Amino acid sequence: MNDISTLRELRPVPPPAELEAMRMAARQRFAAGPKRAGQRWRRPVLAGGLTTAAAAAGVAAALLLTSGPGAVPGPQGTAGHRRTVVTTAWTVREDADGTVRITLQEYSDPAGLQQTLRADGVNAIVRAIPYTLQTSVNINKPIVRPACNYVTIGDREPLSVQGAVVTVGRQALPALFVIHPDAMPAGSALFLAFMASPPNATGNIAVKPVVLSNDTVPACVPVTTKPAPGTPPLGRKAGGPVPSALPRAA
Amino acid sequence: MIIDTRASDADLIVRSLAEPDLFTAVFDRHSGEILRYVYARLGPDLAEDVTAETFLAAFRCRNTYNDAWPDARPWLYGIAMRQISRHRRVEARRLRLLLSALPDGPAEDHSDRAAERVTAQRLGPRLAAAVAALPRQDRELLLLVAWAELSYAEAAAALSTTIGAVKARLHRIRVRMRAELGGDYPVNEENEDE
Repeated sequence: MNDISTLRELRPVPPPAELEAMRMAARQRFAAGPKRAGQRWRRPVLAGGLTTAAAAAGVAAALLLTSGPGAVPGPQGTAGHRRTVVTTAWTVREDADGTVRITLQEYSDPAGLQQTLRADGVNAIVRAIPYTLQTSVNINKPIVRPACNYVTIGDREPLSVQGAVVTVGRQALPALFVIHPDAMPAGSALFLAFMASPPNATGNIAVKPVVLSNDTVPACVPVTTKPAPGTPPLGRKAGGPVPSALPRAA
Repeated sequence: MIIDTRASDADLIVRSLAEPDLFTAVFDRHSGEILRYVYARLGPDLAEDVTAETFLAAFRCRNTYNDAWPDARPWLYGIAMRQISRHRRVEARRLRLLLSALPDGPAEDHSDRAAERVTAQRLGPRLAAAVAALPRQDRELLLLVAWAELSYAEAAAALSTTIGAVKARLHRIRVRMRAELGGDYPVNEENEDE
């Protein structure tokens, strides 16, 4: 027994049901934004839609939430959005107008990203490109190169459709793509590929999403790394050591 | 919105600068705890308002968050403390009420907790009066440790001070409380060295 634990016994504690009701009311007030001067908050009717629920989207256990402070516009000034899925690797946000914004923080969890995009109504195919690791003698760091090429393969929609469906905000990390699912022709699929590199390596790439005419998964065609006759391998100084190539499956 | 539960508070707060809605996850993680604290300090009439105001204030100043702290609780308690301090009269009334309304504990409970409850019931009015008489800064610290159950390091972060300063101030508080309550004040060596 000590003074702290004795003081703790004096702490008034609300009944759990009352606490939860107050918490939900506070949540609505928080979501509604700051009150104006002279304005009184009124106890709102609790809405079932505010219930926190466990959900899974091909990632770790996650929390399902509604929108945040209503007085604060979204980062792009959008009027609102239906839902946002956030993982440590990427964020997918579906706006109220159906636009889907993909932000890639890192290149990982392609399966989770694909599942989330499909849940948002985007017929998406997301693949990680296998990589080849080479050691650079110039910067003494491993260099990652794609082991295969998806992009030149597949029946694509015309450029006008590509432009209507996909807007690239930024292709380097954190990459941002804005997708307009309404502009996707029936039967088409959005193909997104990125190369996840090993730690301490340079050479991450994200391929601009491509609208395919159908949802046939493109083949991964190996990229030839054989140097042209008479040219030294990339990243190798004349007379320097021969770089090692460590092919690895994705 | 679906939030990866592995994301730290710091991660969510930093990312909420670009995506404000992510801050809702910070609310959902910590609002229960903050609400309990505000309820204990101010009672049911103000608990909702002050909790909502705390998180709105936190949202507005999230760009100042020190992301070296993965856990946002100390920061949130610091903000809650400032919101609570705007209702000093209500808190004073609350403490007076506390002097006379300590509920009975279960008679069959023979644990240490039961002993603490008996002590609290016996000392309650005098202890609450002594807490109420503390300077505001001292009362804040004592209640952050006793009611919010923050560690010394967390309390130091909430009060924007050092752990050494927290320990020294708590020692002074205990000396003062002991002087007011005499030998009844329950202090042991363990928590003096905590």
